Amino acid sequence: MLMRVGTWPITIRIAVATAVLMVLLGLVASQQVLSTLGRLQDARLQEYARLHVEGLAVALGPFVLHKDVWEVYDTLDRARANASGERTLFTVVADERGRVLAATDPLRAPVDESIEAFADEAVPVSEVTAANGDSVVRVTAPLSVQGRDVGQIVTELDVSDLVAQRRNAALALLAGNAAATMILVLAGYFVMARMLKPVELLAHHMGEAGDAPHPIPEAAIPRSDSVLSRLLRNFNDMAGAIDARTEADRRLAERERFVSLGRLSSSLAHEINNPLGGLLNATDTIRTYADRPDVVRQSADLLDRGLRHLRDVSRAILEENRIDRSGRLLSKSDFEDLRLLFEPETTRRGQHLEWKIDGANDVIQNLPSAPVRQIALNLLLNASSAAPDGGAVSLSIREENDRLELAVSDDGPGLSEAARARLMSEAPVDPGGGVGLRLVRDLVTGLGGGVACHRSEGRTQITVSLPRREARPC
Amino acid sequence: MNRRRFLAGASTCAAVSVPTLVRAAESFRLGLTPVFLDNDAVVIERLRSALSEAMGEPVDLIQRRTYQEITATILDGSVDAAWICGYPFLQHRDSLSLLGVPVWRGRPLYQSYLIVREDDEAEGLEDLRGDVHAFSDPDSNSGYLVTASDLARMGATPERFFSRSLFTYGHRNVVRAVAGGLTRSGSVDGYVWETLANVEPSLTAGTRVVTRSEWLGFPPFAARADRASERTVRRFGEALRGLDATPAGREALQLLFLDRIEEGDTSLFDGIAVRMAELSGR
Repeated sequence: MLMRVGTWPITIRIAVATAVLMVLLGLVASQQVLSTLGRLQDARLQEYARLHVEGLAVALGPFVLHKDVWEVYDTLDRARANASGERTLFTVVADERGRVLAATDPLRAPVDESIEAFADEAVPVSEVTAANGDSVVRVTAPLSVQGRDVGQIVTELDVSDLVAQRRNAALALLAGNAAATMILVLAGYFVMARMLKPVELLAHHMGEAGDAPHPIPEAAIPRSDSVLSRLLRNFNDMAGAIDARTEADRRLAERERFVSLGRLSSSLAHEINNPLGGLLNATDTIRTYADRPDVVRQSADLLDRGLRHLRDVSRAILEENRIDRSGRLLSKSDFEDLRLLFEPETTRRGQHLEWKIDGANDVIQNLPSAPVRQIALNLLLNASSAAPDGGAVSLSIREENDRLELAVSDDGPGLSEAARARLMSEAPVDPGGGVGLRLVRDLVTGLGGGVACHRSEGRTQITVSLPRREARPC
Repeated sequence: MNRRRFLAGASTCAAVSVPTLVRAAESFRLGLTPVFLDNDAVVIERLRSALSEAMGEPVDLIQRRTYQEITATILDGSVDAAWICGYPFLQHRDSLSLLGVPVWRGRPLYQSYLIVREDDEAEGLEDLRGDVHAFSDPDSNSGYLVTASDLARMGATPERFFSRSLFTYGHRNVVRAVAGGLTRSGSVDGYVWETLANVEPSLTAGTRVVTRSEWLGFPPFAARADRASERTVRRFGEALRGLDATPAGREALQLLFLDRIEEGDTSLFDGIAVRMAELSGR
């Protein structure tokens, strides 16, 4: 089955269009030629018929008036014998009552028979034509003497040569037009293919398979056509701009990770600072009560707990900086790290944090650790900043068959239109705003998942659904 | 010598073919009809020069389309003598004098032929009833009188017996009319038909002789009776009868397929007289 015409290569389409136009042009031109030929032939034929009939009419008039059968026959017979061409096949002459006086072939038209059979299909001289395709045409004319109709003459003319000429002309035109069409179509195809080469080059570099456009090598840009070369260079500039934009986006996303940590820095500083007072008190206590082993031991325990906490916090921060380069898979400990990092922020703002991790698997759906942590942290930071002081933020992780459902909710006022556009669509990001939510969307899309946003009973819930990944050897 | 041209050509031009404007006082004028001598310039010129040579003075040949016209010219003195048919000769027997009778195939006699198309199955005159017939001339013996008198014997007339009869004013034209299919049958001079069979066989091949009449007197040369004793007329008669004695005369006779011209006798035309009587007595 033929493909849709719209899917044909443009060179083929132009060649076909050329062919169609040529065929149309050929038809119109052939029609004109044949019609002109026909008019010339008919004019010639009518001239011949007129001369023939008029000549006979002059010679026969008196004989027909006197109904002189012999003289009519004799005149016709001599005219036939003297005729230079063979066009006149047969002539019959009748009196004013339509009775045959004589004919060049009396056996066909006997004397005194009716001329009706011959006159029926005959046309006047002015209407005779070879266009009907018949090899014989009949012409009729009145015979008059001194303005008085005395009889009628009917002549059969052989027009087979004219018909053949017309047919040969038609065949020649057909063959000529077919050849011309073929030549022009082929020429058109090659010329078009050559002219459209840069366009095909452009289409090829535009990213036909859905990948990003890539620049056309300078060597491939034709120098002969300034318009096309300018077009192709413009395309190269555009492709470069797109590359630059992609690179900028990537760097921005990279920076966003530090921005997330930066947003936590104040809380984390408090997290580190708060135990420090207790720890310094413990060292004072040890110095003061160095001789009391029970107090020293108690203070050492206190010191130990505080330092371990500090160690955990710093490890979590280090991990957050490091994990994007590791190929680690997502596990429950990742969410424990996240909680360690994030909880001080809610504590600072007096917010209630609900933390719900379902499932017992240590490794979660074979998903990579770094992007999921980044998604969860960004959503949590967003929820915390949306929720009022003393408000509520929650994280819920649920494994369902082959999917991971990650939900973050808050009791803030809901997503602004701009924030929703960043999270839910691919629309270009307005400058000025952060890239956190857009980063979430890009990461989710990269993992083949989807984002949904619900608001009900004063709570905004953003749900990320990530499909399970096939296990890959590390 | 192209003998074919003897009878070739068109009879319609006959009336004007020989110039009559040269009417030198000493010219002897001989009238001819195209009935059996179609206008052939060569034949006429040979005949004219042979006669002129034999007579020792110029002879003009004057042609007319019909027997009637040529008979009128001889009677009114427009011509000095004429080659006419036995039928008008007898019609004007009292006014005309016989100058000579051509001898054809050894006898001063000829026949009338009834002809039809070569593929026609008619076996006699009776079979041609109700069809179209071609006569040569109403004053021709072989081209009219014979058939008309035959019909008279049957108690018929050409007008009633044939659906249509027409005059072609030329024996060759009768053959053309029948061969071409214009008429089914025709009455024709047997001498002309036989001559045509020699010089133009393709034409006579289209016809078939159905019946031949009895032998009748050959069309004679005649002059007005009251001028028969004139010296020029007598000299012309002698020149005629002596044609076979000169090379030019023999050549002319040969072109005409005739042996000689003899003095003849009016009794030669008794057969024609009988037919005339039958025709007028019907």
